[in-house]
Amino acid sequence: MNSRGMWLTYALGVGMLHIVLLSIPFFSVPVAWTLTNVIHNLGMYVFLHAVKGTPFETPDQGKARLLTHWEQLDYGVQFTSSRKFFTISPIILYFLASFYTKYDPTHFILNTTSLLTVLIPKLPQLHGVRIFGINKY
Amino acid sequence: MAAGMGQQWVLVEMVQAFYEAPAYHLILEGILILWIIRLLFSKTYKLQERSDLTPKEKEELIEEWQPEPLVPPVPKDHPALNYNIVSGPPTHIITVNGKECINFASFNFLGLLDNEKVKSAAQASLKKYGVGTCGPRGFYGTFDVHLELEERLAKFMRTEEAIIYSYGFATIASAIPAYSKRGDIVFVDEAACFAIQKGLQASRSNIKLFKHNDMADLERLLKEQETEDQKNPRKARVTRRFIVVEGLYMNTGDICPLPELIKLKYKYKVRIFLEESLSFGVLGEHGRGVTEHFGINIDDIDLISANMENSLASIGGFCCGRSFIIDHQRLSGQGYCFSASLPPLLAAAAIEALNIMEDNPDIFQTLRAKCERIHKALQGISGLKVVGESFSPALHLQLEESCGSREDDVKLLKRVVDYCMNSGIALTQARYLEKEEKCLPPPSIRVVVTVEQTEQELDKAASILKEAAQSVLN
Repeated sequence: MNSRGMWLTYALGVGMLHIVLLSIPFFSVPVAWTLTNVIHNLGMYVFLHAVKGTPFETPDQGKARLLTHWEQLDYGVQFTSSRKFFTISPIILYFLASFYTKYDPTHFILNTTSLLTVLIPKLPQLHGVRIFGINKY
Repeated sequence: MAAGMGQQWVLVEMVQAFYEAPAYHLILEGILILWIIRLLFSKTYKLQERSDLTPKEKEELIEEWQPEPLVPPVPKDHPALNYNIVSGPPTHIITVNGKECINFASFNFLGLLDNEKVKSAAQASLKKYGVGTCGPRGFYGTFDVHLELEERLAKFMRTEEAIIYSYGFATIASAIPAYSKRGDIVFVDEAACFAIQKGLQASRSNIKLFKHNDMADLERLLKEQETEDQKNPRKARVTRRFIVVEGLYMNTGDICPLPELIKLKYKYKVRIFLEESLSFGVLGEHGRGVTEHFGINIDDIDLISANMENSLASIGGFCCGRSFIIDHQRLSGQGYCFSASLPPLLAAAAIEALNIMEDNPDIFQTLRAKCERIHKALQGISGLKVVGESFSPALHLQLEESCGSREDDVKLLKRVVDYCMNSGIALTQARYLEKEEKCLPPPSIRVVVTVEQTEQELDKAASILKEAAQSVLN
């Protein structure tokens, strides 16, 4: 995520997802926003916090085999700019979603839980922690 | 921002909704904004960076440190400083320090070093391709002779595929770390050669040594591993287990009990890597190594690795096995991807050597008969005991009783070797990097039998060794 243009690409990607969801005629605007938020957070959770190891062979003799992508980012250094970007972007999406859903309580619960699933694993205290041994090996 | 169907989303409506928003929601958003601000201003830090030394303690440590000399003092008679100089090819008769001796030291088991056909094939290839390849295999270093040699080796060993390395030591030292990573478990024999030890060190896996050729010890280790696996089955599902053995051990001359190993393999679900440097071209009816010797199906062994520097009288090494396994090394074998490939003249020499091996399958029997002969002839020398199988072409002569320290043993054996050299038999001591080996074998003289030695020469060597032992050790 340090390469040029990645941040813009990421934002455009999320925007594209939202436009696709908006263009489905069954969804009203708040539902589309909540769906964007939830799908984005779900994708982020799966790719950054659920899948472990690397999809290709690395010369580190398997050191990162048990680490998720988030833990491998920037070799474990916390609070780098990529990590900050990844933490802030779901928060921004949450703000936009809650604005467009007019602060409706059901949407609120959905959006907040999905935001929490994506924000809590990013805390540095949770680096390498596997709750209840899920996803440990 | 008029979007969506059915409802008009006027900005006024939205701002109104903002004013009517429930308090908890706004509080949460406030907390999130504060979090963002804190994030933006926090510094990057590494998680494990905690040095518990105060500056004063650091100063003390720096004061205490004495630099070691760049060149440590070495005694004048260190063997690496007084080496014997060989002029001419190290074939059957070797010229050491100007004196001609019968060669009992080079690993030229099938006598292919000086073979005319091999030499002419190498020279033809030299004229065609030049000397070197100037590139690794992936970078214009793959020649048709390499592919041909790989095919021929695979066909000879009756496996699906083979892969060539350009340096024999690097063959097994690259093959092991390509499959075994951190967190994997490797059971290896104590007498494994130095190349295997370096490969294991590079692989960063957990190494479990079992006593040399002791299947009971290996089974005990495997059982312990099995009980641990049952305690933590999820971890066990992702750890890979390997056994690394040699066909004929270079350090002791023994053969590995392969049928029992196969039984253990299927019982405890481990993979076997067999290192056949000394047994390729020696054991078996057609020279295919330990698997043919015991009559085992070659598909039972997961990877066979050998170096071509012994029987094939070329340079380099190869690994053979199923395509699925060997193909992995084409991208992860460090010695394959990042070293220049084998010079084509050596590959052509190896192909020619394979041709000779295939055309004359009786040389293996002759070689083994000669090994047995000298093994029998060397029994009963006073002061030296023979270590190794009777059909092993490289056997060791160790001192029956040690003098006390390793240097004294080495000096005594050197005197024996010098006596033999003066009488026309070239022998060598087995050399090790004493500080780096895991289980250092005792010092010994290594006697190598080749097909070119006649029976009289074998008997002469045995008698000279007897005389040497008599005069030096008594």
